[in-house]
Formats: sequence, C-alpha cells, structure tokens
Amino acid sequence: MQLEGFNIIHATPEQVFVALQSPDMLAKCVPGVKKLEVESEGVFKTTLEVSVGPVKGSFSGKVSVLDAVLNTSLTLKVEMRAPVGIASAIGKIILEPQDAATKVHWSGEPQLGGMIASVGARLIGGVAKAQADIFFTKLEQELTSKA
Amino acid sequence: MAEKMFGKALKRVEDPRFITGTGNYTDDIAVHGMVHAAMVRSPYPHAKIKSIDSSAALALPGVIAILTGKDLVGAGINPIPTGWLLPDLKISAHHAIQPEEVNHVGDIVAAIIAETRAIAEDAVALVDVDYDVLESVSLGSTALAAGAVQVHPEAPGNLAFDWTIGDAAATDAEFAKADKIVKLELRNHRLVPNAIEPRASLAEYKRAGDEYTLHTTSQNPHIHRVMIGAFVMGIPEHKLRIVSPDVGGGFGSKIFQYPEEVIVLFAAKKVNRPVKWTARRSESFVSDAHGRDHETVAEAAVMNDGTLLALRVNTIANLGAYLTTFAPAVPTYLYGTLLNGTYKWKAIHAHVRGVYTNTVGVDAYRGAGRPEATYVVERIVSTVARELGMDPVDIRRKNFIQPSEFPYQTPVALQYDSGNYEPAMDMALEKLGYKALRAKQAEMRKQGKYIGIGVCTYLEACGLAPSALVGSLGAQAGQWESALVRVAATGVVEVLTGSHSHGQGHETAFAQVVADELQVPVEHVVLVHGDTARLPHGWGSYGSRSAPVGLSAITMACRKITDKAKKIAAHLLEASVEDMEHVDGKYQVKGVPERSKSFFEVALMAHLAHNYPADLEPGLEATHFYDPKNFVYPFGTHLAVVEVDADTGRTKLIRYVCVDDCGPIVNPLIVEGQVHGGVAQGMGQALLENTVYDASGQLVSGSYLEYTMPRADDMVQLEIGHTVTPSPHNPLGLKGIGEAGTIASTAAVANAVIDALEPFGVRHMDMPFTSEKVWQVIHASQLAQAADD
Amino acid sequence: MADKVPITLTVNGTKHSVHVEPRTLLVQFLREHLSLTGTHVGCDTSQCGACTVHLDGMAVKSCTMFAVQADGSSVTTIEGIGEIGHLHPLQQGFWEMHGLQCGFCTPGMIMSAADLLQHNAKPSEAEIRHALEGNFCRCTGYHNIVRAVQHASGQIQNQAQAADD
Ligand code: FES
Ligand code: FES
Repeated sequence: MQLEGFNIIHATPEQVFVALQSPDMLAKCVPGVKKLEVESEGVFKTTLEVSVGPVKGSFSGKVSVLDAVLNTSLTLKVEMRAPVGIASAIGKIILEPQDAATKVHWSGEPQLGGMIASVGARLIGGVAKAQADIFFTKLEQELTSKA
Repeated sequence: MAEKMFGKALKRVEDPRFITGTGNYTDDIAVHGMVHAAMVRSPYPHAKIKSIDSSAALALPGVIAILTGKDLVGAGINPIPTGWLLPDLKISAHHAIQPEEVNHVGDIVAAIIAETRAIAEDAVALVDVDYDVLESVSLGSTALAAGAVQVHPEAPGNLAFDWTIGDAAATDAEFAKADKIVKLELRNHRLVPNAIEPRASLAEYKRAGDEYTLHTTSQNPHIHRVMIGAFVMGIPEHKLRIVSPDVGGGFGSKIFQYPEEVIVLFAAKKVNRPVKWTARRSESFVSDAHGRDHETVAEAAVMNDGTLLALRVNTIANLGAYLTTFAPAVPTYLYGTLLNGTYKWKAIHAHVRGVYTNTVGVDAYRGAGRPEATYVVERIVSTVARELGMDPVDIRRKNFIQPSEFPYQTPVALQYDSGNYEPAMDMALEKLGYKALRAKQAEMRKQGKYIGIGVCTYLEACGLAPSALVGSLGAQAGQWESALVRVAATGVVEVLTGSHSHGQGHETAFAQVVADELQVPVEHVVLVHGDTARLPHGWGSYGSRSAPVGLSAITMACRKITDKAKKIAAHLLEASVEDMEHVDGKYQVKGVPERSKSFFEVALMAHLAHNYPADLEPGLEATHFYDPKNFVYPFGTHLAVVEVDADTGRTKLIRYVCVDDCGPIVNPLIVEGQVHGGVAQGMGQALLENTVYDASGQLVSGSYLEYTMPRADDMVQLEIGHTVTPSPHNPLGLKGIGEAGTIASTAAVANAVIDALEPFGVRHMDMPFTSEKVWQVIHASQLAQAADD
Repeated sequence: MADKVPITLTVNGTKHSVHVEPRTLLVQFLREHLSLTGTHVGCDTSQCGACTVHLDGMAVKSCTMFAVQADGSSVTTIEGIGEIGHLHPLQQGFWEMHGLQCGFCTPGMIMSAADLLQHNAKPSEAEIRHALEGNFCRCTGYHNIVRAVQHASGQIQNQAQAADD
C-alpha cells in the first residue's frame, strides 16, 4: 500500500534537512524510539516501540539515508524486525520551501510481514499518518525552540 | 415399558458442566512441573533459513530449551505424512520445525520452552533468524502458470496431482448434442475454520516405562496416535496415549495432525517436564489448516426444455504449502464424486489440479469438498434456469432422480442407495410460501426494493465407506468404527466409542440409542470417548460419520449384549434361549412376564457367574467393529431470502428455510442445532468471510478485525423441516447431519444474492457478497443504464 | 521482569489478596492463579467475548484488562452466577433451549446475556442479537442462543411476578 502525506514545519529547508539526519534530533522526535545510534555515515541503528492496533512490538533494525540532495530531498531505507513481524520500506522525503516554512512531502510503501501484516495491515495507513504528525510536530518544536 | 428415547428432544447430559464453567478443555489442564512452549514463526511466505542465533533467547532467565528443525531431524523425528495418497502424488516433506526452508507465513522455525508462557513469548522475540528471502506465490492459478515461482523442487510446476473423474468422450458427445451451453467461472474462496477454542496440546513424558501422554484438541485421537506414533516419532502404540478432552469445536480443523503436537512431545522428553502449548488466535490464522480455495470453470450442456445433459468441470485446488492429513482427498474424491448432485446428468467429466502455493495448508473444513461441489452444481443449475427463462424450482423438479430409480449409478462413481428429493423441496417451498414471495419480489422491484430467493437442492455423501473401497482410493486409514459396551455389575452401562464429540452431543444422543437397545434408563448409560487408553481403536469424528458409522457400531455391540443377556436369563429361568424375549427392560419367557429377569439381575449374574451357563464366558461386554457397506446420502432443500440495499450494497439474510433428510432422527434438538450452525457457517462464506493473501504472500486477514465472522445479528431464526428416508444399509437407517447445513447454505445464499441482483443484469459474481462489492456492481449497472438512456 | 504488585479483589464472593506481575491479564489471573477455567480465551484482539466476566456488576472482556486494574473490585465469573441445583435462569435457558454445542463460547455468552437482562429484562429478538454482537459462537448459528435468552427472560419475569403476588 502506497502511503503519502505532507506536514508543514516552520523552519527553513536547510534546518529541516540537517535535522532529519541528526541522530540527536531523531532520537528526540521519532515516536517510540528506545535507542538510536549511528552505525556508519548515513546509517542509524535503532529500536522502536510501535503499536498497530492490537499488535505491539519492539522493532529493531536499520535506517539508511540514500541519495540525499542537499536541502531538497532524501530517500530513506528502513529495515526493521520485531517478534510480531517485519517491516521494511523505501521512503522518499521532499522539502519544498513555502514562505518562511517548509512543506515536507513524504511517501513510501511499507512491506509488512508476519503477524503485523495479518493483524494490522489495514491499520498501517492511519498509524503511519499519526506517527508522522507526532514526529513533525516534535521536530518543529525542537527547531523553533532552538531558534 | 420404558419410554422410547429414540427421537426424543432430550436436554443434553453434557451441558451442566459447560453452563457452569466446569468443562475440561485442553488449556484448562495444568499439571505439576508444567512448562510452556512458544513458536518462532516465519514472517516470510518463502525463505531459506540461513542461520538461527538463539543465544540471546537462551540467556533469558526462565528459558529452558530452544529447539530447531535440525534438532528434530537429528533426533530421528520424521516429517508429518499425509493420510491420503493419490497416484503420482508429489509430496514435499513437512517437518514439525522446518530445518532449511519456510514455505508460508507462520511456518515454524524454532520452539522455545520456558517456565512461563510469557517468558517463552518474550524469548521468541530474541531468536535471531537470518533468512534468505525467496519469491513466493499464493494463488493457485498463478502457481500453475508457466514460469511461476517454484514452491517445492519435488513438484515441478507446483502441481501436486492431476486428477480426473468421469467419461470425457461421453461428456463431449453430450455437449455436441446440446441446444445450449452455459458456462460459469467460479471462485470458491479460502476460509479459516475458526473453532472458538484455539488449538492446544499438553505433553507428558514418564521416564519409567518410556511413556508419553498427549492431551490435545483433536477430533480423532486415534488418528493422531497412528500418525505421531507410527510415522513421525516412532513411539509404539502402547506407549503413546492421546487424550482429547472437551474440545471447543473442530469443523475439520482439528482432524489433522499438527506440528505443535510433535514439538511438545519431543520437548517433554528432552526437558523431562510436561510441556503445554496453546495457540494465540493470531497463530491459529496462520497455522490451522484452511478450507476451500478453488478456481473453477464449469460448463453445462442443456436442452432448451431444461433437460440437463452433461457437466464439464475444471478446477484448480490450492493446497497451500504442505499436504495436510486429508488434503489430497478433499478436492478429488470428496468433490468430483459429488458433482452429480440430485440430477440425472447423462455424463460428467471433472479435471482437478492440486497446486502448491506459499500459503497455509488447505484441508477439510466443514463439508470438505462437498460444499465446493454443491456450489458448482447449484450455481450452474440456477444459471441454466435463468438463461432458459425457467423457474429455478422447475428445472430442478424436471431433472431430479426419481425415487423409483434408486439405486442410482452416477457418472462420477457414487451409487446413491436412496433418496426422495421432491417431497423435501415441496415442504420447503410450502414453508417459505414460494409462489407468494415471488409475486412480492416482483412487486418490490417496482418500488426499487430488491430481495432475492436462492434455491439449493443438495445431496451429500457422508460416512465414507467401506474401508476396502476407500483404501483403494488412497486413504491410509480405515473407515470403520469400533465400540465397546460394558455393563457393570450394578447394571450401569459404559459405552466406549471411537467417535469423538466436540459439540455434537454424543453423550446424549448415543445414550438414547443404547437406552433403547438395552431397554435401560438413559441415565444409566455413560459415554466414554476421546482417550486412546480407554478404547484402543477408532477413527474419530469427521465427514458426518459419527451417527451412521460410530452409532451403528454401538448398536451392533448392544445387540451382542442383548443376545448374551438372553442366554444368561434363559439359564436362570431354566428356559431355552429361543423362548426368550426382551420386553419392558426384562428378559422373559415369551408371553410369560412372571418368568423374567431384570437387566440388573442378569448383569450381576454375568459378573458373579455363580449360576451360569457352562459354555458361556462370564462378564457382560461386547465389542463391535462396524464397517459400513456404502456411504450414506442425506439430501434436502434450502431456500435463502436476502435483501439488498441498492444504495449501500448491504446484503442481509432475511429468511432461511431448510428441509433436510438425514434419515431417522435420534435427538431433534441436536440435529437442528447442527443445521443451525452449519447454515451460519455457509452463510458466513457467502456474505462475510474471506481469507486474503496480498501480492507479497502475507495473510492480511489474520485476525477478527479483518476476518468477518458471522455475529448474532447477521443471522435470522431458521425455519426447519425434515423428511425421513432411512439409509437402507445400516442398522438404524441413520445418515449424517453435521455438514449438511454448510454444504447447502453457501449455494443457497449465493443464488439468492444473484437472484436479487438480476434487475442489475448481474449473471454471476464471486463471494463473499460484501456491501462494497455489491454496491460496485449495482453502481456500474446504474451508470451503464444512465449512459443508455 | 517487573516486580510483582499486591492486589486485593473479590472473585465470586471470595476475597483474594495476592501478588501478580503487572502484565498479568485479568483472564489469566482467573484461569491460572485461581483455577477458574470457566472463563475462556478465544482471541487476542478483544473480539470474541469468550472471556466475558462481570466487574462490579458490568460485563467486561477480561482479556482486555490487567489484573491490577481490577484491584479493589468485585469480579463474577460463570462459576459464580449459579451452580447445579441453583442454576441462573440463563444457565437453565441455555440448557433447555440447546443454546450450546461445544460450550466454549457459552460462559462468555451467558455473562454478556446476564448483563443485557440486568438492563433490559424483556429484550426483543433484535435487542438480544444486538447485545450479543461482541460474542462469537461458531457452533450454534445463534438460533438457540437467542431462544435461550428469551427463555431466561421469561423465567426471570415469572419469578418477579411470583415475588409480587
Ligand atoms: S478472549 Fe476474545 S474477547 Fe477476550
Ligand atoms: S457452542 Fe461452540 S462456539 Fe458456541
């Protein structure tokens, strides 16, 4: 299922671009994050608590930043595993300046496997949207409070 | 004279324990020292297992052992066999824990044994399995297509078997003569049986004696013993006891021998503690055998006057990743042989290809092959009627096999021994008020209201038999049943049966028959089932066989008891056996009630043997192994009425009339209960339930959030009737009723929905008729109409 | 593993003060700690109703709450609403009307129906069907369950009438 959406952040594309690749920022803003460390340049190792409907699980895995275009776009490759299944995705983020703010377009197609797919597949769209909202709201808070 | 129990609507004797919460289901049992198992299951539909790192899981406090496929194979545990072999069947090994490759989501790759269930489940998360993910396939026709992903190397092109029945040339000849050929493409979608009690198993091992006991949710503990003991684990029969206590519904899904049973038995010995496993519902969805999943092209050759000539059927049966216990039989001998229905087809030819896919195994689910066959026949007959402008009732009446024509040899092997289809249909039509409802339907259509009436005049064949025939068709099991009737010195009658009740009320119905046969109070009859240590032989309950086969065995054993009791009484009365009669619960000299002995007196003397015939063994018990001569052939007419809301597509069952002929009825309460439940399941398939694998092979309908089970307000009160045509070949004339409701109702409801949608030009659409799908076709038709205007 | 916490609750009239792991579900507590195995588990998504009990007089799905959340409460299970010789009208109704086959859904059905009859002593067929929407039965097609509840409703009214007279 293709998921997409956008969020507006009151910060410049430059700020957002940096923030999206900052381990500190991500650790603060990604909902349910338990652990986040840099494995290598552009590769984060992370553990997240996620719940999709009745399925809850601690997902661990990697997020890699692929072909980043300075202040414009990023592609993220996510590969996570949990006792309740597997989740992987290629996500695309495009930053578009909009007045003083940035419109962040995000899209991707998650691949789910195992119990999370059988129990939660239909809920994943809503969950992704909610998680994105939380993430970008926090990101904006972080960026604007610093400013 | 004791009141006759046969035919009485006796309240069930098993109910007091269930209504007070004191039933004894497998998961209710806790034994000293018990530990728990949890399974590590594949999240991928198809993958090679590269490595398994269980060190983190093993380090978790409370984890006792972790088992992998290699451990089991190394210990000499064999794969789980299938119980039905077809010629040239391609079999791929199904290991309790797959050592190298997983073939469906839910396939087991490791098992954790831990002090508590919670710890075991925590540890599952810590097992690190490295997979090499492979391409997968989940739809039967896709798996058969050229260049499809190969599921097992043993089955090139994913073809497990290629099977035909009937005379192809004769069928072609009839098609050549036909006025008209009517073709339908039908998808009989996949279902999950969903007994409300999840499967569970508890294994105990005794080092003294090297003996195993397995409590498990089984419809047929003796089949489990044969499969596990003789084939999988190599445990001698007398050292493996299988107990199937109260079982919370089966519907076929608890016939099969499952991996978890082997795992807990193996683990119990290895860790020397009792080991229990209980499925979470989300595990049930990916590990209980599924049902149906056919893609069929059917063609009927007919004359313009409505005469049915011939039927040609081509079916792709999706078998899933492994052949489970009866998987090969279901889409072949339980399907192809039923395609004749209740009609006089001159020729039939069916071609079935069984196909491997990366999905859960598909096996018998209530009806097993017969609902699929009935769906094909009844849908096509109704379609023929519509295309010829006939009433669906008239075409059936015209083509029914007549009572004088039995025994009737069908073109697809079965020989029907009895039947009388019209009276059942007429009774149903009468109950429904068919003519008036048709008029009302026409009236309502004018007002933009759409109801549909679906007709299904089914026939089924159950109580598979005889063993020799079924064996020649590939069954690896006998199809007889055994019974042991044992009379205690007090006159209490203990009846041990190889049949198994998981809701069918055997404790009551069987006792009623025994009470009549032995002329004893029904309260004195106690039924024992579900324990291989109590009754050594049996084959269990599936395929509606308990009444025609199991109860026949009991009846015959009772008759042996009566014969012996007469000899004992004759001796006590100094009369000759020929002069004895069995009346009013007494054994008396014919016509001389004063010279009699009671059942109790005879039973006591059989035990004391003080004053006893010299040539007679003491004791009053008898065993009978009953192997029927033929199947039994229940039939009937089901009429469904649905209402479709044209604005929303919402399709609702509003009336349901059924008249079934299952022969003489032992207990009407129980028989009607079987019909109610069966109809709900068949209606569930037609309107609600669906099992969906997405393009990547993931099961996306794996919970009750997605898999729509019928709820109380989806059903209506049923209007039920019966006709009685006894089976000519078993002692009580009994036929089965456990599956009839499911066999008939899917087609009845489907025909009703298509009938309702006739004004929208709908000739056929596939189940389930969800609001969304129905709305789509209505909407499309309205758009087309608007474009025309 | 989190430390055990003390709770006190009354189950079928008996008070229990025990220590449980915080993650112990109420249903698990009833089945495993108190051996009250009449309350069943049929799913893991709160859909089937097999686990229905009364918590302070209201029907709840005991798989959806932790035992610690029931601290201080009073729980009634199927074992507590009647017994052989003194059956609850619903237990009697299910027996009379063949409202059960395998019996697995039955305790939850009876507890849900009891909740209905407390609020609506004379429900219509539609009201019964609606009230039991949260409980699955795979065996009976609900036909005789509806009749069982109707039977119980009649019995309760007769009793009330007798008490009035
Ligand atoms: S166990 Fe299914 S709702 Fe509680
Ligand atoms: S009686 Fe079996 S689920 Fe209801």
